[in-house]
Amino acid sequence: MTGILLVARTHLFTAFRERITLFWVLIFPIFIFTILALIFGRIGQEGEINFSVGLVNFDTEATAAWEFGTMIEELFEELGAPQIEGKEPLFTLSQPEGGEDPEAFVAREQEALRRGQRAAVIVIPEGFSRRIEQRFAPAVVSTDSPSSTSEALTIHYSEGNPSSEIATGIIEQILAGVDREILKRTGRFDEEAAVPTETVWVGEASEIRYVDFLLPGIILMAFFTSCLFGIPATILFSRDQKVLRRYWVTPLSVPRYLAGLSIGHIVVGLIQCVLLILLGKYGFGASVSFVALQPVAFLLLAQITFMAFGFLIASIAKTANSGMAIANVINMPMMFLSGLFFPVAGLPLFLKAIVYANPVSYLAEGVRTSLGIEAGIFSTPLVVGIPLAWIALSIGVASRKLRWDVER
Amino acid sequence: MAEENGTLMRVSDLKKNYGEVHAVDEISFTVPRASVFTILGPNGAGKTTTLEILEGIREPDSGEIEVFGVRLRRVDRATKERMGVLLQDGNFEPYLRVKEVVQLFAAFFPKALPIDDVLSRVALKDKANAMIKTLSGGQKQRLAVGVALVNDPELIFLDEPTTGLDPQARRNMWTIVTDLKGQGKTIILTTHYMEEAEALSDYVCIMDYGVIIAEGSPRQLAAGLGQETIIEFSAPALQEEHVNQLEGYGVAARTDGEIVTLETEDLVRTMEELLSWSREQKVPLKNMAVRQPNLEDVFLSLTGRRLRE
Repeated sequence: MTGILLVARTHLFTAFRERITLFWVLIFPIFIFTILALIFGRIGQEGEINFSVGLVNFDTEATAAWEFGTMIEELFEELGAPQIEGKEPLFTLSQPEGGEDPEAFVAREQEALRRGQRAAVIVIPEGFSRRIEQRFAPAVVSTDSPSSTSEALTIHYSEGNPSSEIATGIIEQILAGVDREILKRTGRFDEEAAVPTETVWVGEASEIRYVDFLLPGIILMAFFTSCLFGIPATILFSRDQKVLRRYWVTPLSVPRYLAGLSIGHIVVGLIQCVLLILLGKYGFGASVSFVALQPVAFLLLAQITFMAFGFLIASIAKTANSGMAIANVINMPMMFLSGLFFPVAGLPLFLKAIVYANPVSYLAEGVRTSLGIEAGIFSTPLVVGIPLAWIALSIGVASRKLRWDVER
Repeated sequence: MAEENGTLMRVSDLKKNYGEVHAVDEISFTVPRASVFTILGPNGAGKTTTLEILEGIREPDSGEIEVFGVRLRRVDRATKERMGVLLQDGNFEPYLRVKEVVQLFAAFFPKALPIDDVLSRVALKDKANAMIKTLSGGQKQRLAVGVALVNDPELIFLDEPTTGLDPQARRNMWTIVTDLKGQGKTIILTTHYMEEAEALSDYVCIMDYGVIIAEGSPRQLAAGLGQETIIEFSAPALQEEHVNQLEGYGVAARTDGEIVTLETEDLVRTMEELLSWSREQKVPLKNMAVRQPNLEDVFLSLTGRRLRE
C-alpha cells in the first residue's frame, strides 16, 4: 500500500514542481476563470446595470401652477436611489452641488459625456413647466448640442457609445410615460385611440449568476486539461525516458503503479477544485455550494472519465510528443462543444452532434444540475451512462494497447 | 526443486528473437552463489537482452530459469523481492529529490534498508535533498546503485555499470562491487571492458551474436590459449607479405590496424627472429610489449575481432 501511496506522491510532486505542468494544472484554469468572470461576470447580476447620468433643472421659477421640472428631477432622484438594499440603482445621478453655477455644471457634464464618464445628461430648461401648461411639449433629444435655449427638455447623449444609447432610450421611455400620465390627467389623452399595450410579468429574473454557471465549468475544464495532457505526458515521458523500466524490475506491478497514478491525479483534481472554489467564492462572489453528495459524485465521475481518456490517448500515441499532439487536437473542440463555458442550445446541428457524443457535455450538465444551476437537456441515465461508456471504452482500449516499456 | 548448495541460478536453453534477429540463441549457464558472474561481449552480443529476461522485464521465447531453487518461465514478484537491478539505461523522475527516490523504491519491497544507510553506502548523503535533474552522471549512477541495493538483495544485476563513467567513478564502482561480493552477495555483471571483467569476475561467460563462445574463470580462459606469451608492437605501413613472413616463424600472428600481436610458446627464439626480421625488412618495432594473455586475447583468438570493435 505504501508503494501505491508513494507513486501517488511522486505524481503530485511532479505536477507541482514542474513549471509547465503547474501552468496547465493551476495557472491556466485560474487565468481562464478570471478572464471569463471579468468579461461576462456582470451578465445576470440583477440590478447591477447602472448608468451615470447628469441632471440639471433650470425650471425653478415658482410662477407655474405645476412644477413639472421639479417633478421629473424628483423622479430621477428616486430612480437614482437603491431599489433593493445592497444592489446598485438603475441611475447614478450627478447634480450641481449647492451654489454651483448650473451653466458651468452643464458644460462640465457634457465634457464627462464626451469622455464616456456619463451615459447621458438631462437638462430641464427654464420655463419648462409653463410651456407644458401651455402646449404640453414633448421632450427633444439632441446630440452633444450646447445647452438649448428653447423650453424643450434636452437629453444629451454620445453617439456610438452603447451605454449612452441604451441610457437615452431608457430615459426617453421614462419621459414618454411621464408625458402620457400628464396628458391623461389633463384629459387630453384618448385611451381608446391609443395603441393598446400591456406589460406581462413572466416570472422573476434568473437568480443564477454567470460566475455560478461558470465555476463548475472551469473546474471541469481544469480536470479535463490536466488529465488530457497530464496522464499521457506522465506515462509516455516516463516510459520513453526509461523511468518506468526501473519500476518493472522491482515488485511494483502495472496495476499498482496505475492505482498510485490515479490516486495522485485525483488529489491533483481535489487541489484544483478547492483553489477554484475559493477563487470563485472570494474573488467573484460565487454562491454555489459543492458540499453535497451529488456534486462531489459527479466531479469524481468527471475526473475518472477524463483520466480514462488520458489513458486512451497514451495507448494510441506512439511517443510522448504524438500524445501531446493528439491531446491538443481534441482538447479545444471537446472543451468548447460541451457547454463548459456557455450554453450550447443555440448551436447548429452538425456542432450539436459533437456535443451529444462528447462526455464532457453530460458531465458538465450532471455537475450543474446537481448544483441546481441548470434544468438540463439530457436524461439522468444518459448523464451517468455516457461517461461510464467512455470509461469502459477507454480502459478497454488502453488495457490492450498501452505499452509499458520501450520497444526493442 | 530445492536450491542446490553453491548454485544460485541455472539458465537453460534461453532464447529470444527480435524479428529475424536471434538476440539470445539457446544459451545455458550456471551462476554460483556469492560470486561475481560476468557476461562479457561486444555491443549487440545479447548481454542486455539476457539480463532483461533474468530481471523480469522481458519474456523469453523459450527456455527456463531456475533461481533461488524455483523454476520459472518468467521472473515473478517473489523473486524480484530478493533481487536488485541496476539497468544499463534507466532514469529517475527529474523533479524528485534523491531521498524521495530512495523512499519510493524502498516502498516497493516488503523489507528495505534505512534510507540514510543506502545514501551513505553510495556516498550521496549530502545530496539527499538535491533534485535528480541537478545530479551529475556519476551521481545518478551511484543513486541507481543505491536504489538497486535498497532491499538488501541476495542477487544483484549490474548491466554495464561503468559505461560512460570517468576513471575515478569507475574505480569507485569496482570498490562497491568488491564490497558486495565480500558481503556474500551474488552479482551478475555485464561489461564490454575486458579489464573490468578481469578485475572483478570469479566467472566469465563470453557472448557473441547471441551465443556463449567461452566460459570459465578469467585465469582458466586465458590458460585455454596454451602456454603462450603475447608480444605486441605497432608497425606502420606493414605489407601483407610481412605478415605472412611473421607467420612463417611458427607463431600465431594477427594485425589490427598498425598493431601486431604474436603468440609464442618460445619467447626467446621468437624475439631473436623478430629482431633480425625487423633489421632485414627495415620495419621499426614501436611500443613493443611482452605480456601474459588476457580476456581480450581470448576474445580475439575466438572471433578474430577485438571486444570494442
